[in-house]
Amino acid sequence: MGVNLIVNGEAYEAKPLESVTALLERMGGGGRPVVVVLNDEVIPASSWGACGLRDGDRVELFRLVGGG
Amino acid sequence: MKRESGGEIMELQCKAQDDWIVGGHRFSSRLLMGTGKFQDAETMVGAVRASGAQIVTVALRRVGRNPREDDMLGSLGGLKGITLMPNTSGARNASEAIRAARLGRELCGSPFVKVEIHPNPHHLMPDPIETFEAATVLAAEGFVVMPYMPADPVLAKRLEDVGCASLMPLGSAIGSGRGLATAEMLRLILRDARIPVIVDAGLRSPSEAAAALEMGCDAVLVNSAVAASGDPIAMAAAFARAVGAGRDAHRAGLMPQGGGAALATSPLTAFLSVEGA
Repeated sequence: MGVNLIVNGEAYEAKPLESVTALLERMGGGGRPVVVVLNDEVIPASSWGACGLRDGDRVELFRLVGGG
Repeated sequence: MKRESGGEIMELQCKAQDDWIVGGHRFSSRLLMGTGKFQDAETMVGAVRASGAQIVTVALRRVGRNPREDDMLGSLGGLKGITLMPNTSGARNASEAIRAARLGRELCGSPFVKVEIHPNPHHLMPDPIETFEAATVLAAEGFVVMPYMPADPVLAKRLEDVGCASLMPLGSAIGSGRGLATAEMLRLILRDARIPVIVDAGLRSPSEAAAALEMGCDAVLVNSAVAASGDPIAMAAAFARAVGAGRDAHRAGLMPQGGGAALATSPLTAFLSVEGA
C-alpha cells in the first residue's frame, strides 16, 4: 500500500518511506537543480536520500527557468 | 557619486576603470540581461555572451508533473563570471515574494534578488506597497535587493532607506517596447539616489539604452528587446555598444542645451568680404 502525498498541489501516490531522491527520479527531474520544500520546510540536497516521505506530506519542487 | 558600500579604495579603483558596485559586488558591464522569451537555449546563451552581461535574471517555477520543458539554464553554467539574479515574478504580494526570494537563493546560491510584484496581468505595474514590504524584510535578511519599481522618486528614497542595493524603475510597461516614457521621473530619482539606478523594463532599442546611460542611470536591464528582436545575438551586441556609448557620453558631459535660438558652429560673417576690410 502506498502513501498519499500532495506534490505541487496534486495528489501523488508514492511507495512507503520513498526518499525524496527516489521521488525526484520518478518524476523525471533527477539531475537538474531543484529545490525541495517538504511541509513548508526546505530540505537540503544532502538530506534527500535519507528523507522518507509519509502519508499526507506536502511536497513542492521548484526549479529555475528563463525570466526577465 | 558616493556609493553605499565598498570602501574608499574600491571606489577609487572603480572610478579609474569605470566599474560600478551594487551591494558590495563590483561589475564592469552596465547591461543586465533577462533570460525569458528566447526561442531556444542556444540563442539565449549566445545573446548573454554577446551582451557581456555579468548579472543575468532567472525565474522560479514549480516542476511540472512530466517536466518536458527544455532546461534553458543548464547551458548558462558554461559562462564564466555570471551572477544569477532570481526574480520573484508570479508573486502577487510581499509574503509570496519573500518566499520566492528564499527559494531562489537556495537554487542559485546567489544573494541577489530582483523583487518583482505585479498583481495586475494587464499592465504588470509593480505594486509599490507590497514591493516596499518585501524589500524591507529581504534587505534585513542580507539579500542584495534589486526592486523592480514604479519610477517614483518618493518610493525610491524609501526603498533606499530600508537597505535596497539598487533601484530598478521601469522605463515603460514590461515587454511594451515603449522606451523611456518615465524619463522625467527617472531624472528626479537620479538626482537624489545614492545607490545604483537601473532602468528595468520597457526598452526596445539600443538608442533608448544609450539615452538612459547618458542621463546618468548606472545600468539597464533588457530582455524582450533582445529576445523578441530579429536576431537576438546581434541585438545583444548592439545593446552592449549602446550602453558603452551612453556611459561614455555621460562621463564626458553633454554640451549645454540652448534656448530657441541657434548657435552657429562656423563663423557667419566676413565670408565674401576681404578680411580686415
